[in-house]
Amino acid sequence: MTIHDEIDNYLAADLHNELSNEERNGLYVHLVDCAECRRIHQKTKNMNKALEEKFETEKPDPAFESRMLAHFRNRAPLRRGKIATCIVDLIRLRATQIAAVAALLLALIQVGRMITGERLIEPNRYAYAKDESQFPARDEKKRTLLENSASSKPMSGGKETDQISGGLRSRGDFAAAPAAPPAPATGIRQDISRPTKAAQTKSAQPQEMTEERTIVTGSDIPTAEEVGPNPEATPASNAALANRKLIRNAMVDLEVLSFDQAVQEITAFASEEKGYVATTSSEKQENGKLKGEIVVKVLPENLDRFLHKIRGLGELKNQTLGTEDITKNYFDTEARLKNARMMEQRLIDMVKRKSDDINDLLQVEKELGRVREEIEKMQGELKFWDSQVQFATVTISLAEKDLEEAAKYLLKEHAQLALYTPEVEKVYNDLKALASPKVQITNAQLDRDNSGRMSARVSMLIAPEESDGVVAKAKAMGRVENFQVQTQRITQGGEGMSENATTKRDKVELNITISRDEQEQAFQQTTLRIRTSAVDEKTKKLRELAEKQSGRVRNSSFSRDPEGREYANVSLRVPMKNYNALLQSLGSLGKVENVSVERQDRIGGQIDEANAPADLSIQVYSQGNVVSSDTGLFATLRRTIGQSAAAIMWSLRMIGVAIAFLAPWIIAIVGGVWLVRRIRSRRS
Amino acid sequence: MMDANEREVYRAAIHGDREAFEMIIRTQSRPLFAIAYGILQNREEAEDAVQDALVKAWKSRWRVRDPEKFPAWLCMIARHRARDVFRKRQAVSISQIPESAERETTDPTSLDRHLHAALAQLPELHRAALSLRYFEEMDYATIENRLGLSNGSLRGILGRALASMRKQLKPALAAEQP
Repeated sequence: MTIHDEIDNYLAADLHNELSNEERNGLYVHLVDCAECRRIHQKTKNMNKALEEKFETEKPDPAFESRMLAHFRNRAPLRRGKIATCIVDLIRLRATQIAAVAALLLALIQVGRMITGERLIEPNRYAYAKDESQFPARDEKKRTLLENSASSKPMSGGKETDQISGGLRSRGDFAAAPAAPPAPATGIRQDISRPTKAAQTKSAQPQEMTEERTIVTGSDIPTAEEVGPNPEATPASNAALANRKLIRNAMVDLEVLSFDQAVQEITAFASEEKGYVATTSSEKQENGKLKGEIVVKVLPENLDRFLHKIRGLGELKNQTLGTEDITKNYFDTEARLKNARMMEQRLIDMVKRKSDDINDLLQVEKELGRVREEIEKMQGELKFWDSQVQFATVTISLAEKDLEEAAKYLLKEHAQLALYTPEVEKVYNDLKALASPKVQITNAQLDRDNSGRMSARVSMLIAPEESDGVVAKAKAMGRVENFQVQTQRITQGGEGMSENATTKRDKVELNITISRDEQEQAFQQTTLRIRTSAVDEKTKKLRELAEKQSGRVRNSSFSRDPEGREYANVSLRVPMKNYNALLQSLGSLGKVENVSVERQDRIGGQIDEANAPADLSIQVYSQGNVVSSDTGLFATLRRTIGQSAAAIMWSLRMIGVAIAFLAPWIIAIVGGVWLVRRIRSRRS
Repeated sequence: MMDANEREVYRAAIHGDREAFEMIIRTQSRPLFAIAYGILQNREEAEDAVQDALVKAWKSRWRVRDPEKFPAWLCMIARHRARDVFRKRQAVSISQIPESAERETTDPTSLDRHLHAALAQLPELHRAALSLRYFEEMDYATIENRLGLSNGSLRGILGRALASMRKQLKPALAAEQP
């Protein structure tokens, strides 16, 4: 760029005194040379002058600044209170703004959490509500338990409880009685007892009292003083009680050391309490232990004391105390009896009057017979009831300790024998020939499948004294692959341990499995490779060697691969005793490589190791060509190019993945920045 | 570039010191007027624009973080304001322009009228730069700073502005110069 080309810029800068000395000199040199530029220079100078003049006229007057200030003071709001400005300044701080945004976000999250959290909590609340609805029921149960324990107290012992309950009853306060009835009827009973409670406090009529008692104690176990007269009871309740007809029953399960001693002591207790032993029965168990039942009748008022005494005899397993109220039935029957007696009397009178009519007489006699029969029945019933009421029945079940002890033991033996033999059928027949009265064959089976394999199973039961001999004979018939004996002790007449029980040996159950030795698993497995140049020839030699050592070739194969390598695989089986000899003779075939031996020691099985089969799988192979098609210059090049192409493709894929990951972020950030800029420029 | 004293004044103004801001008004309102006038070519309108710009600057002073950039920022506000007024003037009514043009024609010299017309033909940025130069006789570097231009670009702008005006005013100048 020469000065000539930029003459306009140079001239303007010159006029405005913005050229450096060097530039100015250059310009003046050029102006001397160039007539055109001189002309432009002149014109520009003229115009500059005109412009200066023009702007001089338009320059703001000296009062301009004060006008601006005045206007500003008018329009810009004066400072508000210090605190207000402080707050405004604070709001304008960027840090404050960021904090505010963050707080807003947090608040939103919190609100969201509250909304979703509410839903999470609600089901729990319902669950609680359900629980609460269950609580009353549970409480009731608990109360029932308490009441039961309270009601069972009297028999275990304190008479104080009874006295308290009696005292409370005399005041007519039934709801609070400790002998309050059990749960199932609680609600109903309370409903009934409340109105009557009020009535009772006003008029303590004995009859009403009795009714109330019937309701309250209906399902309860009555205590002693309810049955018999009790000096501590108040006269009112006593009068009511005297008329009651109650049958009391108790059942006690006891475990004692000696049955006979317990029976003696119970008899003694019964006579002490003015009772008697009604029945006794006993039963002897197989292991010599006794168990039995004793029924004792005692006076009802002595029942509790009697029960208390019995408990000392042994361990209490179970106790039930029951009461049956037969008051109504008893008095009904009594009234009917009275009527029937009157009827009888009248009929007798009729007979006495001696009617002439024989038919009438017969009729009356017949009726009289029926009435008398009825009377007798009712009398019997009353008597029975009387006896029941007079004496309480206590049924005591006695059992001696360790009742379940075993009486004797039976030793059961199960034996499993697995045999390998070349001739399955012969061994099978030999085994069957062992049968005798003391050796019973329960099951014999010979199988032959499609491929000609044979197997046999024989099960026999052997008398204990014969068992050892028979098992030894069976073992001698073939190669034992496995022999297992399982002994089981079975208890008879009871369970658990016993010091005195006898042990008896039971019949032995023997199961024999016979298989052909082909199927037998080799005791030892060997794999090895032999490298040689003449595979075919050496394989033949190998077969000869094997036959010499009484081995058998099980299978063999031959193959040749593209590189010219030949492989011959031969599997052999030889007896263990010839194994080492064969292995040594293999050295003559070629170089033996990669020998690996695997031996399966069967723990616990008694096996004939010398005859056990050993498997050999031998690979005879030749070296083949030296260079394979996989090596060499071209193959290497090909592989290298292929791998580098794969690497390029892979990295391309990775780049694509990276872009896919980053692109949304970049778009979002750029968009955000653009938006912020846009808003800012709008505002200003 | 900016001495410590000046910077302190700007900093105080940014932080809401009203007296500092009034000080800035005293020193900076003339350059602002120059810019506004350059764009609007009308003194009253330019004064109004400067007043508006100052009030606006006071209200949004907290947006500037760096005191160094405060004068340039002020100029930018004035330019935007003036441009808004300019656009409004064009949009409001076309009938007013001939009227004002007529008023211009009544001005004493025809050269002045030609100058006015030639100035109106220039781009807005060129006009602002020209007026800053001729009103305030600012050096190029300061003008570049105020208008947000890159270093050294003003020489080309002013050169082109003067050249184009020269071409337009050729007949008028020839008439003036015998």
